[in-house]
Amino acid sequence: METLNFEFRAGRQFIQRRVQVGVVASGNLEVLLEPEFSPVSRVRVRTSVDGYREEWMAILRTFFGRHDVAAAIEINDGGGSPPIVLLRLEQALEESRK
Amino acid sequence: MKTDSFAEKTARDRARSLLDAGTFRELLDPFARLESPHLSVQEIVPQSDDGVVIARGKLGDNNALVLSLEGGFQGGSVGEVNGAKIAGALELALRDAREGTRIFPVLILDTGGIRLQEANLGLLAISEIHSAIVALREFVPVIGVIAGRVGCFGGMAIAAALCTFLIGSEVGRLGLNGPEVIEQEAGTTEFDAHDRVLIWQTLGCRRRLAMGQIDWLVDDSVGAIKECITTQINIGVTGKQRGAVPRTRDIVTQTQKIQDHATADLEPNAAETSSSGISSGHSSGRGRRWYNALMENAAEHSEGKSVLVGDAQWGTETIRAISVIPNLLARFPRARQGQMGVEEGWGIARAIWEAIDSDLKIKRAIVAIVDVPGQAFGLHEEQLGIHLSLAAAVDAYIAAREFGHPVVALIVGKAISGAFLAHGLQASKILALDDVAVEVHVMSEASVARVTRRSLREVAALAKIAPSTARDVHSFAGLGGISRLLKVNDADEPSAESIEEVRSEILQAIRRARADAKSPQARLGSPAGRASRTMSLEVRRMLESQWSMEL
Repeated sequence: METLNFEFRAGRQFIQRRVQVGVVASGNLEVLLEPEFSPVSRVRVRTSVDGYREEWMAILRTFFGRHDVAAAIEINDGGGSPPIVLLRLEQALEESRK
Repeated sequence: MKTDSFAEKTARDRARSLLDAGTFRELLDPFARLESPHLSVQEIVPQSDDGVVIARGKLGDNNALVLSLEGGFQGGSVGEVNGAKIAGALELALRDAREGTRIFPVLILDTGGIRLQEANLGLLAISEIHSAIVALREFVPVIGVIAGRVGCFGGMAIAAALCTFLIGSEVGRLGLNGPEVIEQEAGTTEFDAHDRVLIWQTLGCRRRLAMGQIDWLVDDSVGAIKECITTQINIGVTGKQRGAVPRTRDIVTQTQKIQDHATADLEPNAAETSSSGISSGHSSGRGRRWYNALMENAAEHSEGKSVLVGDAQWGTETIRAISVIPNLLARFPRARQGQMGVEEGWGIARAIWEAIDSDLKIKRAIVAIVDVPGQAFGLHEEQLGIHLSLAAAVDAYIAAREFGHPVVALIVGKAISGAFLAHGLQASKILALDDVAVEVHVMSEASVARVTRRSLREVAALAKIAPSTARDVHSFAGLGGISRLLKVNDADEPSAESIEEVRSEILQAIRRARADAKSPQARLGSPAGRASRTMSLEVRRMLESQWSMEL
């Protein structure tokens, strides 16, 4: 298991409500998405697969590149592939807007 | 994939799908951040809800409590936190029921049983779940649903058998021991864990229905499961289920099935016998020795018996002692070395119910002498439903306690897993000899290694960072599991003086149990329990604070 922390400049949209999606299963992950009111969006990743910091950075950059949001995110990862990770992040954001 | 498949949903969506729209209210949700503190220290990624969803809501006019285990996370296994969430919620429902408010509990069981990484903490939590289910079903039907991909195994299969009403779906499986563990413990010739047809014929809910071990078989559909639950709750509301005998108390019918079971092919060949001895471990024979020592040769005719039962008069107390012992003549070969098998579980139940039924005024004490190297791992055991047999013993011990019998356990040798759940863990007071050969744990090291995909060396090293996975009795006492550790001169050949001291300790424990019969969750209040089971207490405290908020 490896714990990774990332920070991004917070975007302009706030998260409406906190949500949890997904399960920490093999090849899957859970995402906890919460509002963030500081100038920094923080992401903590705990993953069962060590040594992929660059890949996580790329996925998160893609996510924050697509969405101009301020968010606190926790990811508990059971080894999700990059498309699955991105899917869960999008799903969490969508749920938070319902 | 069907759109309303129950099995395809997550635990949270299952709970939500069963409750009426808009009434789902989760307690201790992911943002309560009550995750397991024991997993990350073992380099395992935790889940924010520790793999269980506790939800209150409405089913028609009735208040329901849905407890939904997530099979996708660590195989739905039960550890300290999720175990305390389930036990704590059931305890609160019981408190409300006793005060006249009925909440209908529904357990969605998608679980492999005890979480091996939290071992004895899971074992303690499951004994508390058992106790709460039996107490609660006096007030409301406790409904179990087995309809997930994992199925329902281990200590939670015993919990399932204790439910008032059990629903299984076509994708559900129910058994005490999973295929891989049987294969590990008893060899491929006993059970080939890759043989899918065999697995379904042995453990599938269709088989369980035919055996009378579940009540209803439904399609894998939310609609069908919800309809079935609603019907049962309505029966519960009208009180029509009263008078029906719980299957764990239906001794005559269930033991007849065991009697009728063909035994021609039961004799294992030489290779199997040797393989089973390696991992399961032989009983030390202490169960018989201590029984005879304490009961003053009350068991003269122990040959051919695997459950010794006898009464003795100790001063003013009448004692019924029960000990499970090796029996080379037992019908089921996998239970010949002191294991708890299909006949042993029912044998204990019969001995206890006999005492309950005949003691109308003065309730004799029940003393469990514990040296059980484990449950019997075998194909026939699973076909017959060994989980139900063990549940019958669990239920009988709980009933004895509820009816006012002091129940005391004395661990003299091994106290392992399902066998210990069924014989010892429901006692109000647990005494143990302070001896290196006294062990409390949940699975042989070989099986732990296989299931958790670790090396044997890693498994052995784990005990140092996770005391709940240690096997010595001092570690278990450190979890608050033992009321008193007793020093004796020689646990194998006790002196007359040691025997007298142990007898006097048992009598003291009986007196304390008479003064305040305690269910297993009282162990949390012991100094050791308070110090080591901090999450079990924190979960209950937070659960209570969230329990009664308006829907």
